[in-house]
Amino acid sequence: MQYLDSGKLGILVTLLIVAFILFNIARAKNRTDLFIRRIPGLNALDDAIGRATEMGRPVLMVPGIGGLDAVSVQAVTIFSNVARTAAQFSTPIRLCCADAAVYTVAQEVIRDVYQQEGVPERMDAQTVQFVSDRQFAFAAGVQGMILREKVAATFLLGAFYAESLIFAESANSIGAIQVAGSTQNTQTPFFIAACDYVLIGDEFYAASAYITRQPVLVGSLLGQDWGKMLIIGSIFAGMLMNSVERNQMVTMTRQESTVEVRGGQESVAEMVPYEGEPRKKNATETTIYRLFHPMYTESMYQIERQPKPEENPEPAPAEGGEVTL
Amino acid sequence: MNLLAYQPTWWTLNPQDNGRYGVLVGVFIAGMVLFFALSKVPHSARRPIVVGVTFLAGLFWVLRYLWPEPIALRENELPNGFVEKTGQWLQTSVPFVSGIAQVVTSFLLGLGMFSLLRVHFTKITRKQKDWQFSVLLLVCMALMIAVGYADWLQREFWIKEKITDDTTTWTNVNVVFNILFEGLLQNMDAAMFSIIAFYIFSAAYRAFRIRSMEATLLMSSALIVMLSLMGAVTSGWNGTIDNMTGSNPANLLNNLKLNELAGWLRNMVQVPALQALEFGVGLGTLAMALRLWLGLERGGVTE
Repeated sequence: MQYLDSGKLGILVTLLIVAFILFNIARAKNRTDLFIRRIPGLNALDDAIGRATEMGRPVLMVPGIGGLDAVSVQAVTIFSNVARTAAQFSTPIRLCCADAAVYTVAQEVIRDVYQQEGVPERMDAQTVQFVSDRQFAFAAGVQGMILREKVAATFLLGAFYAESLIFAESANSIGAIQVAGSTQNTQTPFFIAACDYVLIGDEFYAASAYITRQPVLVGSLLGQDWGKMLIIGSIFAGMLMNSVERNQMVTMTRQESTVEVRGGQESVAEMVPYEGEPRKKNATETTIYRLFHPMYTESMYQIERQPKPEENPEPAPAEGGEVTL
Repeated sequence: MNLLAYQPTWWTLNPQDNGRYGVLVGVFIAGMVLFFALSKVPHSARRPIVVGVTFLAGLFWVLRYLWPEPIALRENELPNGFVEKTGQWLQTSVPFVSGIAQVVTSFLLGLGMFSLLRVHFTKITRKQKDWQFSVLLLVCMALMIAVGYADWLQREFWIKEKITDDTTTWTNVNVVFNILFEGLLQNMDAAMFSIIAFYIFSAAYRAFRIRSMEATLLMSSALIVMLSLMGAVTSGWNGTIDNMTGSNPANLLNNLKLNELAGWLRNMVQVPALQALEFGVGLGTLAMALRLWLGLERGGVTE
């Protein structure tokens, strides 16, 4: 017997974290004393722009090669802060995009920043540009720009893949100061090796809260921290629970089988009394395993439903078209 | 009736009907007019539009994630009750909603091309440094569009039956397209990818220089993992350990075998660290998405 539908555990945890975030956003609106630890990569933003201003060279920003999602939106939000400082010091910027949607959004955001700073004339066609949506064509285009224009600072923030090291090493070779951060774990080591400052993991998402100190953003960051504590607590509880359970003797054992459902094979399981020599529980018999591998029984797939009424025959749909009945 | 579900339309049922081009052109013009109208909306009215559309789009995907799907619903069965009906409605609406995103993206691609043309035409007309490369880029782009489109039309419509995988059936257009795409573009991509090897080498050299405690740890760990992948070295080292322990599996010295050390580094150091980072990134993405969905984010893209 399974008393808890553990298939819904993920949804429950997600909703709990959502509640943490919303609660802390509401709480932070009336507070100004919330602390964010120092993040060196973000402190270096102003230094990098200052250096570019002194050298009279542009600042390069790349929001990765991903589409318009939370990652690129966060990158563009950070770049809007960089662009604001750059606009105040008349430092030219180059924001290169590999996705047309990101380009459109970035162009609007940067244009607004220049207008708010009262210098809309400083934004030209090269300020925000679409280079290519092909990974290595984009890499070649941006690399050429880094080397030709000898950019003084580069900000590589977003979703990067194999092209990350091409950018970072090219900028390193001309002595540009580099701040980088990627949500791709596979690329973070490359950035650490080649860049001056790296935003690791969720520091990337903490950037806008760190720079602007808006209550909504700081509260959201606090909610994330609560979420982390929940995860850490769950890991410790799970570790202890598993350690205890693995030393218990078996009375029930999990039996897996497959049944044909919806024209395919589905895995089903049941707990049956254990008969045999006493032994300790194995990994698939613990509560933690069952939480992450819910038990779907054959009876769950047997649902009584009304048949569809017969319809008049219609012309066959074109190939690829899916008819909704 | 599911209004959002993808229905076969008169032009998908009859793809040879020339009238569909008229409809496509009409929809394209309507889309352009809509984009133009949206770009003329006063600045103060933009935020409610952006926030409203984002909320509706987000609501669909949130419901899609949270709402239970009907289990084992067969094609000839009707869903039971409100919950199953709504679940099925959300399920069948996904192609339609994704289609909207694709259409919007297609329009935005036009804006991307416009940016590219503007940057390079400006370079050419002002004879800026390296303007010749801009000429080359525009010529290549025009050539690829023309040849690629002609190739697609021939393969899909004009002489669909005559063209096969056999290169002797290809027309001049197909051959030129193949040279441009397979012969040039793919190889140039591969060339760009291959230079990463040299960059990895130079970056690794800098990272592994022993200048601090962290760099020393990094260098030692990397050395163990690299050596564990070299068969001859592993065999020699592990053989020495076996000689010392007399091949006794219970001896603690077995932990010093290269594959054991490398496995410990990977499973006990690398994997937990990466998973911790992934938890942080996941939470950050969730918080960011929530702020965008509910319009709580000020500044940046929603301003």
